[in-house]
Parts: sequence; C-alpha cells; structure tokens
Amino acid sequence: MKKTEAIQTVDPAVADRGPAKKNGVLAALSFRNISAIYIFVVLFAIFAIITPRTFLTPGTWLVLLDAQSITVLAAIAVLIPLVNGVFNLAIGAEVGFAVILVAVLQTKLNMPWGLAIAVAILIGAFIGLVSGLIITKGKIDSFIATLGMSSILLAGLAFLSENRQIIGLQDGFRLFATGGLPLVPDNPNFKLTNPVFIMLIVAFIVWYLLERTPVGRRMYAAGYNPDGARLSGVNVGRLQIASLVAGGIIAALAGVLLASRINAGDPTVGPGLLLPALTAVFLGSTQFKGGRFNVWGTVISVYVLAVGIKGLQLLGAQNWVSDLFNGVALLAAVGLSRWERTAKRGSAIKRATPKFGRGK
Amino acid sequence: MTNESTNGSPMGAPPLLSIEGMIKDFPGNRALDNVSLEVASGEVVAVVGHNGSGKSTLVKILAGVYTSDGGTVELSSQDGFDTELHIIHQDLGLANELTGIENLGITHYHGASSFAPFDRKKERAKARELIGRFGEPFDVDIPISKLAPAQRSIIGIARALDGWQHPRNVLILDEPTEALHATEVRVLFDAVKKLAADGAGVIFISHRLDEVLDLADRVVVLRDGRKVADEPRSDLDHDRLVSYVTGIPVGEAEHGENARNAGEVVLDIKGLTGEILDGVDLQVRSGEVVGVAGVLGSGREALPAMIYGSIDADVESFTLDGRPYLKRSPRESIRRGTAFVPGDRAKFGSVRPMTARENVTLPELKSMTGAGGAINLKREREHAQTLMQEYDVKPPRAEQVFAQFSGGNQQKIVFAKWLRNKPSLLLLEEPTQGVDIGAKQAIYDAIDRAASTGAAVLVCSSEAKELVRLCDRVLVLRDGRIAAELAGDELTETQLVIEGYGLKSEDEL
Repeated sequence: MKKTEAIQTVDPAVADRGPAKKNGVLAALSFRNISAIYIFVVLFAIFAIITPRTFLTPGTWLVLLDAQSITVLAAIAVLIPLVNGVFNLAIGAEVGFAVILVAVLQTKLNMPWGLAIAVAILIGAFIGLVSGLIITKGKIDSFIATLGMSSILLAGLAFLSENRQIIGLQDGFRLFATGGLPLVPDNPNFKLTNPVFIMLIVAFIVWYLLERTPVGRRMYAAGYNPDGARLSGVNVGRLQIASLVAGGIIAALAGVLLASRINAGDPTVGPGLLLPALTAVFLGSTQFKGGRFNVWGTVISVYVLAVGIKGLQLLGAQNWVSDLFNGVALLAAVGLSRWERTAKRGSAIKRATPKFGRGK
Repeated sequence: MTNESTNGSPMGAPPLLSIEGMIKDFPGNRALDNVSLEVASGEVVAVVGHNGSGKSTLVKILAGVYTSDGGTVELSSQDGFDTELHIIHQDLGLANELTGIENLGITHYHGASSFAPFDRKKERAKARELIGRFGEPFDVDIPISKLAPAQRSIIGIARALDGWQHPRNVLILDEPTEALHATEVRVLFDAVKKLAADGAGVIFISHRLDEVLDLADRVVVLRDGRKVADEPRSDLDHDRLVSYVTGIPVGEAEHGENARNAGEVVLDIKGLTGEILDGVDLQVRSGEVVGVAGVLGSGREALPAMIYGSIDADVESFTLDGRPYLKRSPRESIRRGTAFVPGDRAKFGSVRPMTARENVTLPELKSMTGAGGAINLKREREHAQTLMQEYDVKPPRAEQVFAQFSGGNQQKIVFAKWLRNKPSLLLLEEPTQGVDIGAKQAIYDAIDRAASTGAAVLVCSSEAKELVRLCDRVLVLRDGRIAAELAGDELTETQLVIEGYGLKSEDEL
C-alpha cells in the first residue's frame, strides 16, 4: 500500500500575475516583481565595497548613463515588435547601418548634418517597413525574416563603409550626442547628455502608447493571440508592420546618436547591440508587469546589466566579460520564469503519483 | 483473464485508487473541499459537475499539474500488482503532424535501441493490433491530423493502454467526448467498457449527463468543490442527476417557449459560397433567433465566420441593415454592429493571458478613451466590473487573467465582451460548448435578452436540444446546402437529427 501526502504550494498560474489587491504594496515590492532593482542594489553594494574609488565616482555614473542610453533605445526598438509577437533580430544591423549611413551622407554627399539625420531615420523607417511586409505579406516567420534582413543590412553596411571608419564628420553633428545640460557650472564635462534626454522622451512616448492607448492594447492582444485579436477587430498585420517601422526609426535614431558620440562612421559598433538589447527586453518582462514586455522594466534592465558589466570591468575583467554576462543573463531571464513553473509541476507529479512513468 | 478476477472487486478488497479528503485552495476560493473518491477494479465511476465545480482541479492534482493543499491519494498494491494511474487528457496530448505509428510510440516503447533501424512491417502490425481492440482498424501511416476525431481518440487511448503489465490499473478520461460525434462516442464507450470488464478501474470526467448515465456504474457529483452525491447508476435518472448538478430540485427545470416578434430584416444573404458551402440563402430579422444545424462537414462550422468576414467567401448579394456589405472584415463588421462569438474560445474568442477587463473592451476601446486618446483606466475598470456582475461571472474580478476563469465563466466574459455594445447582428458558434449547466442557462438568458432588445441572432450549434430551446426557426445544412427549414411544431430534436443526417422521415420507414 502506497501512501502519499500532498504538500502545500502556491498555485503557479495564480502566483504568476502581478500584485493582488489586499497586500498590493508588499506584492509590488516583492522580489518577483522588481528583482532587477534588488539585483541592482546588491551589485551596487558589492562593487562599492570592492572598488569604491572608481565605482562610486559621479563621473563613472554619468558616463554609464550616457553610454547605455543608446542601448536602451536599441532595446525599445526590439521591445515594440516583440509586444506584437514579432522578433527583430536585425536590430544590431539596423543601428549599424544608420551609423554608416549618417556618416556617408555627410562625407560623400556633403549633406548638411541635420538633413543627413533625417534621411538616415527615414531609411530606418523604410527598413522596418520592408521587414514588416516580408513578415506579414510574405508570411515568413519573423525570426527568419529579420535574420535575413540583418545579413542583408550588414552587407550594405560593409559596402558603404568599405569596412573602414568614416571620419571627417561635421562639427555640429558631433555636438548632437555630446552636448547636454551641465550639472555643475564650472565643469562642462559634468553633464546630462542629449542621448539621455532623448532616451527618456522616447521611453515615455512608447510607454504611453503601449500602456495607455487603444493602439498599445491592441498590440499586446496581437502579440498574445493574433487569431483572437483579429476576430476582435484588431488589424494584426498592420500593427506588426507599424511596430517594425517604429522599431526601425528608433534603431536609426540610436545609430545616429552613436555615430555622433564617436564622431565617426564605425562599421563595428552597431551589430554588438543585439544581445544586450534582447537580454534587457526579456529581463524587463519579468519586472513590474508579471510577464509582460514593458518599457520601464526594459530601461531598468539595461542599466542593471550595464552596472554588472561595469563593475566586473573595474575589477579588471577583460572585454569579453560583457558578452558572457549578457548571454548568461538572457538565458537566466528567459529561463527563470519558465523553470519556476516546470519545477513545481515536476515535483508535484512525483508526490501525487509515485507510480507515474515507472517502467519495470 | 478468468471471470472471477475480472468482474468487480471482491467484497472487502481495497479499491484500486482511493482519494481521501482532498483539498485545494486558490486565492479567494476553495476549488476542492474535502473530496473523497474510490474506484474499484471493474468499475466505471463518472465524475460530473459544472465548470468550476472542481472536477478539472481533481484531475490536475492526480496528474501532478497542481499540488493539493491537503488529503491523500492511495494506489493499491495487492497480489504483487502495483496499480498505475493512466490519464487521457482532454486534448489527448498527441502530435498532429506525426503518423499513428509514431504517436503510438511503438518503436521506443518496446525497448529497441534509439539508433536501431525501424522495422516498418512489424510496427504497422503492432499498431493495427493495438487499435484493432477498439473496432475497425484504420490507416496508421498517415499524419493523425488527417484522421477523424474519434480515430485520434482511439490512438490516444491505445497509447495510454499499451505496455500495461496487468489490467488492474486506473484509467482517467478527462472530458474525452468533447470533440466527438454520437457515433464516435459509441466506439469510445465500447472500448472503455471492455477495459473495465478486464479489471481496470475507470474514472470518467464529463459534464454531458446523457453520456454519464449511459456509461457509468457509479456517479459522483461535485458542486462548488464539494461532493454532493455518490450513487450507483441504477439509483439515478436524468432529472435527479440534473438536480444534483444544478442544486435545483427536480421539476423546476426550465423550458423555452419562443414567442418573439421579428422586425426588420437585418441580415440578407443570397448565394453564399465558399469551402463546403454552395449557394446558401439566409435572412435574419431583428428580434429573431435563427438556428443553423448540420452534421460535421455540412458547412455549418464556416458559416458564421464567413458572414463575419474572418473567412473569405463569395456572395451574390449581402446586405446588412439594408446596406450592401461585400468586402467584409472583422474590423468592419464590428463597426457595423456585428458581434461574433466563435466556437473555439481559447484560439479565437479571447486573449488568454490578458485580464477580463482587457478582454471585454478589446473590440471597442473608443468609448473608454479620454483626453489625448488615452484609455481611462478607472472608467474601463468600472465598466468591466459592472459587466461581470451583470453576467454573473465568478469570481467577479475584472483584473483576473482570462485563462484563470473556469470554462463557463470564460464564456460569460466572451458574451459580455460582445453584447456590451448592443450589436444589431449576433453570430454565435457553439455558444455553450464546454460550458456547465448553470452557465448555459445564463448564456441562454443573455441570448434571449439580446433578441428581445432587437438583435438579430444566428446560432450555429451541433446540439439539437440547444437549437430547439433557443430558436424561432432552424436551417438544416447538408453537404453545403440548406436541406430544410424547421419552425413551430416541426422544430424538434428528432426532426433536426433526421434532416441533419438526411434520414427518411419516420412515417416513410
């Protein structure tokens, strides 16, 4: 005679969702809900203790804030299509292409820098449109479609740049990303830069659209259940195209800012953004909204990841540590939420049905 | 197997499976409250109840999907036999792209090396033998998506039964007849009875009371998480079972008399053609409930989606509210005041990970927006809350995720979603599929209300009883054409079945 005791657990399906009504504050502050902020605090404490001299300087933080604002833009450009159920793996190539394009337009075609920015962003929108049409009209899976698009853009990037840095950009253009609001009157380098403001504005607009407008609501519905959304009157295809166009515009904006900051058309800087952007979006989805991709979770995640990497670098780690860190974080972010469900399920099977699947 | 060891359990012998005092709590509601259940060898025990009565929760605990909050599960282990639990879930868990042989998993099941080449002939013979136990063999070499639903069920059952070391195991069938026709249900039941006769214990979960009475030796009724009845089949009849399930005493059950006043023609279609349908003419008036009956493959399934515009179709003429409407799409249909409740709730009727609030307002968000085109979340929440009370959704929590409601309550939310803006044309496909009796009544009431306030209603259903209850007249489709129109005294279940299958009417036989 076999006997098994059933053991108490929280039902995973229910625990999955955001704060419950009764202890809303506690739930909102729970590790589940804002784990990234706790990780941030822990990382901060660790590095502050180990390397106080470099880690705790405001300079380090302002540089971090400025540098990562472009990663945030790239992540938002991944986020919007992903809300619609569309992967954009071309994000790195899109940013890289804009970096080169805005430089080539200025140097080879002698375009004024303002116009060059406008053209680069327009082309970014066009790239998003083409990806969108391939996915919706061509019925090619977004994973494959944007992977193909990425390869094509990288070829175009190499062609335009001839695999060399393009230098000799206009002076005004350089100030686009390096200008900003000084925090201390007597030290001009101590400032909040334009990219930080641009990032915050873009994040706010995207947050507003996704969370507060019918368009955003329909986008989430389209991403969760395209068939069901369509029958509820949502034009899924059009939203998917629009999301890729929006992503293309933001990616191009990130590329322009990147070119302006390094004051050159560098063919190598864009493609590396794919992994941190994707990681931040997935890590961000575990924050605040209980499994929903969301803007502020993404923003926070970019900085949490960056602080981790920065700290390790200050400790003397090599450059490859960032790839390692992002890769592990991506797997952990996606895996954690799933693992939690399946682990509970697995142990429950063992407890409730001891004979299950025994092959004697 | 000899007779004495197969027919029922000997007196005093322990049951194969016994569940004692099972408890399961979800936040805010107790899904199972001290439920006990035993199954003996040779016995078919039916567990019935509303959606939300706790029967799915019970299966999920036995399957290990949920962990219970109290209680024990015992499996017998006598005469050297360890009883095993085998569960066939509602969706069968088969891979549709693979063949019957592959789904049966014969190659691996019988201990061949993973890299050994297949012996096609041997596998096929074995597969045929396995399914042959349940009637006529069928093609096991084609992807099972091409098989009839009943044949797929047989594959699922054959797989669950393959490799038993002895017959005295417990088989749990969770709503196995959901996708099946009456004839297919027969085949399944014969198989189940045969198993029980060989000494297995069977737990049969269902909310179709006729089937339960047909198959079970003993019936356990759950209501609101409690066991309210546990009686031998012989002590029960249909009315009594209904009263256990609903909690309403025998004799107070409803009967629909459909005296409605039809108004203006709302929907007028001529020559609707597409997929199986071949030139269907159709008219629905305001305040009228028109049914569409027909067996699977008659064209019934595609009809509402074609009217709605989510499946393409050709028409000679199509007018809605007196205006031609040829280029149809879901979005435009909604704009013109059409609502469509699709049969497949999970795939088409809802966005499962979103909240009830987000689901109900999805088709029409404009009235929820305020300054700057933003959604007024407070207004939306209040609106959703009111709707949930109006449609008696349990629990009435607008912020709960759709997927976490029980089937019947999900369907109430879907109805709230489509009826909230008073549609002039309401298209319904299997409106009470997978829904318990209580929710069914609530949905019928909602349909009646919609018609009485002037909506034109078209109901496509495979349930004859439902059509008789709801409709003023019913069109019977056969092979893509309208074979008959029944109304008034002619509108009976028998007549619907006769026309649906194209049988000769009784007096001609």
